[in-house]
Amino acid sequence: MNWEALALTLRLSLFTAAALLVLGLPLAYWIAFSQRRWKFVLQAATSLPLVMPPTVLGFYLLVAFGSSSPLGRLWTAWTGHTLAFTFAGLVVGSILYSLPFAVQPLVNSFLAIDPKLIDASRVLGASRLATFFRVILPLSASGAATAVALSFAHTFGEFGVVLMVGGDIPGVTRTVSIGVFDLVEAGNYAAANTTSLVLLGVSFAILVMVYGWNRGAWPRAPWA
Amino acid sequence: MRSSQVLPENGPPRRARRALLSAAVLLLAWSAGGRSRAGYWGAGTAPLQAFFPTPGAGAARQATAKGAPAGELTISAAADLQFALRAVAEGFERKSGARVRLVLGSSGNLTEQIEHGAPYDLFFSADVEHPERLEREGLIVADSLFVYAEGHLVVFVPKGSPLDFGKQGLAALAEASVRKIAIANPRFAPYGRAAVEALEHAGLYPKLEPRLVLGEDVSQTTQFVVSGNAQAALTAESLMFAPGAQDRGRYWVVPPADYRPLAQAAAIVARSGKQPLARAFLAYLEAPAGQAVLARYGFARPEARR
Amino acid sequence: MAAGAVGMSGSGGEDGSVLDVFVRKRFSATAGSPAATQETRFALDVRFALPAGVTILFGSSGAGKTTTLGAIAGLVAPDEGRIRLNDRVLYDSKAGIDVDVSRRSVGYVFQELALFPHLSVERNIGYGLRRLAKPERQRRTGEILESFRIGALRRRLAAELSGGERQRVALARALVTRPALLLLDEPLAALDAPIKGRLIDDLRAWNRARAIPILYVTHSREEVLALGERVLVLEAGRLLADGLPQEVLGAPRSETVAQLAGFENIFDAQVVALHEDSGTMTCRLVPPEPAAGRGVDLEAPLARLDSGAAVRVGIRAGDILLATEEPRGLSARNVLRGAVAGIEERDCQVLARVDCGITFSVLLTPGARRALGLVPGLPVWLIVKTHSCHLLRPAER
Repeated sequence: MNWEALALTLRLSLFTAAALLVLGLPLAYWIAFSQRRWKFVLQAATSLPLVMPPTVLGFYLLVAFGSSSPLGRLWTAWTGHTLAFTFAGLVVGSILYSLPFAVQPLVNSFLAIDPKLIDASRVLGASRLATFFRVILPLSASGAATAVALSFAHTFGEFGVVLMVGGDIPGVTRTVSIGVFDLVEAGNYAAANTTSLVLLGVSFAILVMVYGWNRGAWPRAPWA
Repeated sequence: MRSSQVLPENGPPRRARRALLSAAVLLLAWSAGGRSRAGYWGAGTAPLQAFFPTPGAGAARQATAKGAPAGELTISAAADLQFALRAVAEGFERKSGARVRLVLGSSGNLTEQIEHGAPYDLFFSADVEHPERLEREGLIVADSLFVYAEGHLVVFVPKGSPLDFGKQGLAALAEASVRKIAIANPRFAPYGRAAVEALEHAGLYPKLEPRLVLGEDVSQTTQFVVSGNAQAALTAESLMFAPGAQDRGRYWVVPPADYRPLAQAAAIVARSGKQPLARAFLAYLEAPAGQAVLARYGFARPEARR
Repeated sequence: MAAGAVGMSGSGGEDGSVLDVFVRKRFSATAGSPAATQETRFALDVRFALPAGVTILFGSSGAGKTTTLGAIAGLVAPDEGRIRLNDRVLYDSKAGIDVDVSRRSVGYVFQELALFPHLSVERNIGYGLRRLAKPERQRRTGEILESFRIGALRRRLAAELSGGERQRVALARALVTRPALLLLDEPLAALDAPIKGRLIDDLRAWNRARAIPILYVTHSREEVLALGERVLVLEAGRLLADGLPQEVLGAPRSETVAQLAGFENIFDAQVVALHEDSGTMTCRLVPPEPAAGRGVDLEAPLARLDSGAAVRVGIRAGDILLATEEPRGLSARNVLRGAVAGIEERDCQVLARVDCGITFSVLLTPGARRALGLVPGLPVWLIVKTHSCHLLRPAER
């Protein structure tokens, strides 16, 4: 078992899930509550990673990170190196790749909140921001937990994007799934099997947690 | 606007149901994504094709599952043969009237597919080890294995790169401006192994190892430079003859003495139903016309038949 | 009386009003929001002024009551209008003023109460006092918990409260912010009469010192009569009547108000004779279907109408007397012979349907029913006072 790869993957999943919670909350809020007619376009864009092959996303990321794109040049000028082949680059890729897994549960739980509660908060003098933190967020705890768990699990099993932009550097970008790929390519089936089982086990455990949570199998607040 | 009379009640059961439903939809979508991820197997060259358009490759890949009809040959080939073998196949098609389909991938990957019953007639590897493994397993026609060419390692750099290999040789890679060097994964890609050998031979490996990034195969390795993320790549000479490659960068041939020869072997797959046609293709490849095409793509004529 | 201009006497404020409201809003089916679909059939167009104290906004569901409250609170954006509260203009479409909901100093008790389910009673009530220092917040919360007799509930969640307790908490939560206006959207709909009465008494007591306008929305006739305050009648987005409940509901001048006020008997009729000397006129009630009967002549109060004019006549089921023998020596001008067509028991009331050529609904007590031995087919006489026959302006179509 490659512990270095496992630790790296856990770190990547954790960073990505945390970043997605921070990014996903305002995005989901906008999707859930905006009155804009064209908001479905953003909704569709957010869901793209669900249907797009990760290799396509990885390919465009690689181009965007590279010296031929203004974005890539800017980053390189600022930090001295390209985002590709770095942990930060993987986090960026994973955020995009797992975006719908964070945003969808949040949007759903926002929409499940009785709008009268939001009205009540506003009438009682709370600003939109205060209403978000004092009413919407506490009532969406279950959705937020689902968002974090799903984006964590999705990143944990991510392969295509990492393969495209990672460069397979041990301890930096060689995640468990890439490790499995390498082992199979090298014909080392026994080691590939061990590593795959660990990946499977962790993913399954997370999903059991999420489904159990959604079915109310564990105690939680009476309003959730 | 929101109106109290109109709003549905949002009781806890409804919310739970909705959350469960959304999770289910997500997981469905996730598994779909997983399937497309699995589709990556054998699609390792796709990004490069975006730069070097080669129409028909996608169709060829799709057709493999069905099994070729009479007069059709399905050839699985290592990624470095992408352009050379296509050119050979075109000549063969004109001469014989048969149709050729190319399936590209890494040698390790294709070997695995053959082990699991992939319907290929011929297998062109980028090394000798993988066909030998298949020979031991009895999956290729006895005595059909032969070394058809020898590949060459090159250093590929972007067009504007200041590196002067003519003067410094591989040592030019030690320049500070070279932050990332792409090589194919040496654990299973023959050119990756050769790249490591060449760097070790030049005494550069310990110094440059932190700068190495690994591509799945030579195509991806090359592409790391094309997309502007790596400053140099150690890759296959054959890819330098791809249409448009000359506009993207330049290359320098690593002296063949610096690494073990990259002998590339081919063989007829044992379960192929079209062995006569496969033999005809091999004969065409060995004939002067076929060899001339291979040479045009940087494959040296093999020095010895096995 | 022109719909939409009820209660607007002169320009806002000169008559001592505290709140002036003028709101127009059209709902279109293509508004995009699914919530708009139920109210797509009408445009809201209201104009009224409120003094301090309780005013009732009465109308059937879907009449636009909640939308009106929403516009005043700032939760619903009107197409045009002007809303003034004391010396503050909250909304003025012409001047481009639209004060944010959170800064309107309006107390709003929602029909669904909308207590925050994740907060205790105490924190629900303290919610609107965020800007105050903690000691002051606690003092005011404690005070209102006491005066609404819910101090014992302070640690409970909304889910752990009874209906009446929730109502009290919702009211306390709105009042503790010391609003300049209180909007109550059917706040008592789910309560028993005694609890309702005590809550209203609490509210009146609270407002004696504050003297703010309270707009009380209801669709219940009984609540209107029980509150006994000035009532605005809203129907299909327009104000139809304005006055004391007895005036508006007791002698409605429009058919819509009559229906709202519970007139069970409303008939098409034609004026056939005017009797200026006796102050009455004869109206012939036309059966709904021409073949159904011969029609019935009724003496109604004299109105400025010509013979032959078409009118609508409304009679409350409770205003009709029923006799099993032909009565004599009555002041009532209308004694109609008929037969019981059907009897319906409702709670502690009996609704008899009597066919006199036209079918009337008559309300009586179960005791009266037993004493008279009412059964279907029994011949009876109906007695209707002239002044129980209300002439109605037909509903706008």
